[in-house]
Amino acid sequence: MIEKILARASGRKTVTPGEVVVANVDCLLLHDLSGYLTGRVFEREVRRPMRYPERVVMIFDHHFCPPTEEGARILQENRSFARRWGINLFDCGNGNTHHVGVQNGFIRPGTVVVGSDSHTPVHGTLGCFATGIGNDSHAGTVMPFGKAWFKVPDAIQVRLSGTHKRGATPRDAALWLTGTIGEGGAIYKALEFAGPYVEQLDFWDRWLFPLIVVDLGAKCGYIEPDEKTLSFVRSVTDKPFDVLKGDPQRAFEAVWEWDLSDLEPQVACPPTVGNVKPVTAVLGAPVQWSELGGHGGGRIEDFRLAAQILTGRRVHPDLRFNLVPSSRAVFRQAVREGLVEKLHEAGATWFPPSTGSNQAYNMGAMTAEEAMISTHARNFPGRNGSPEAKMYLASALTVAASAVAGAIADPRQYL
Amino acid sequence: MNGGFFSKTVFKEKPMQARGRCWKFGDNIPTDRIVRTDLVFRPFSEILKHVLETCNPEFPLKVKPGEIVVAGKHFGQSSGRAIAAKALKQTGIGCVIAESFARTFYRNGFEIGMPALECPGITAQVSDGDILLVEIDSGRIVNETTGRELQARPTPPFLLDMLKAGGLIPMAERLAGEG
Ligand code: SF4
Repeated sequence: MIEKILARASGRKTVTPGEVVVANVDCLLLHDLSGYLTGRVFEREVRRPMRYPERVVMIFDHHFCPPTEEGARILQENRSFARRWGINLFDCGNGNTHHVGVQNGFIRPGTVVVGSDSHTPVHGTLGCFATGIGNDSHAGTVMPFGKAWFKVPDAIQVRLSGTHKRGATPRDAALWLTGTIGEGGAIYKALEFAGPYVEQLDFWDRWLFPLIVVDLGAKCGYIEPDEKTLSFVRSVTDKPFDVLKGDPQRAFEAVWEWDLSDLEPQVACPPTVGNVKPVTAVLGAPVQWSELGGHGGGRIEDFRLAAQILTGRRVHPDLRFNLVPSSRAVFRQAVREGLVEKLHEAGATWFPPSTGSNQAYNMGAMTAEEAMISTHARNFPGRNGSPEAKMYLASALTVAASAVAGAIADPRQYL
Repeated sequence: MNGGFFSKTVFKEKPMQARGRCWKFGDNIPTDRIVRTDLVFRPFSEILKHVLETCNPEFPLKVKPGEIVVAGKHFGQSSGRAIAAKALKQTGIGCVIAESFARTFYRNGFEIGMPALECPGITAQVSDGDILLVEIDSGRIVNETTGRELQARPTPPFLLDMLKAGGLIPMAERLAGEG
């Protein structure tokens, strides 16, 4: 499928894995940090006009309100860059890069999407070819020419089946797959997620799977668009798009199959995303912070799950529970469903839509002794204050259960 | 290559090579350890004092131009920012050889003009401090300390052209200029 998209975007009939093509790019997503570096390279080294400013989107998501003068200056420079070239700008408070890009209709099936944020492959959820590329590709080829070079990847199909038991969620499945396939377990591959399990998921739960592919070393993730995908896309944009259908006979380098029926809640433990264990292996591990946010969380689904656990319960007094909506649309929905008040009354704290504690630009720094459990996408050391601080990644249910217990807890005890 | 600004192969220069001491690192080194996230926006003069320091504190102090970084699997994972590759290039090293790379790091390396060779099995064949001779175009690696020879995976010709052009930006410019 990725091959078909790349063939069309590079004006060819077919492409084969391993060859290098130059393809038209439909959307370039930048955030406040990568956007700044890219803008500098573009203006200092390229010195050509921006070819398709309407395809370039910059989102301030690591900052929601700069805490330092240096941060304020970076944002100011980004704003003037955006104005100078007429690109789309979403300023502080709009949400995190990928969610804002999707919710505002910039991502459409069958297209080519790039970003320097390494989680850009998440947009494969909409049936596009999406991957992270570096500043020089953006500044040197996407901005001046609307193109980028790609090596066509081999494809592996990941076929999933089964129905979860109580307490397990799609996020647990995604964590488990990260541990099972392993960091670097699919280097340079395109991973296509399919099977009855994936088909039955709603859009934002499917999102959790292409999100993990970067840490497996893959180039992109993909889910074949079906009616659910298409009606989601139509709900956010009326721009036209046409879907490329994969032929059922298509060849994969490998097919990996798993049944997820017996899955228990999972936790990715420090220091890496691949260090995944069943929650029962880390019960009682101390945490002082918990957070729903980042690319893996801050979805409306996460706040609903947390509310299930927090109904009639309170956040443990020794722990802080941060709630970071992934976009303004999610916050509005949380208001409508009464989740804002409910979680507030339970002792959690709402933060502005953003990427949350990711890299501790606005929030989420910890001392060497502290630990957090969150729905974030990454837990490498040095991303949240002290390099010795610990980050555990889990589902919204496990995060909320731990917030109640004041230590890592099994959500099944609270359901 | 398909049409457009990358269409012609116009670079014919002498083969590239690197020779020098090898600095050896482990598996899965993230970009966050090549350049600390809190230094990303600082000037290179400051970043250079800390490159890979949490993996080997001697490296930023002692690395010399032309020397070679050898690493294990999935080198340069995590962030896709080119700054990690740029900082390594600024130390003056001649190339990076790894068992395998995170694809964003591999791509960024060539785009900024720093060769990255993939050589499965390399970590078992070289020790920190060995002297290596590396032929970038052919992928031939000679460990002069042990006398052993290794062969890296071939680098796509497109990427070799990019290196010879001095990176992606000069390449895109030059070819666009030629129509
Ligand atoms: S975790 Fe944050 S910095 Fe890293 S790739 Fe995702 S958004 Fe970018």
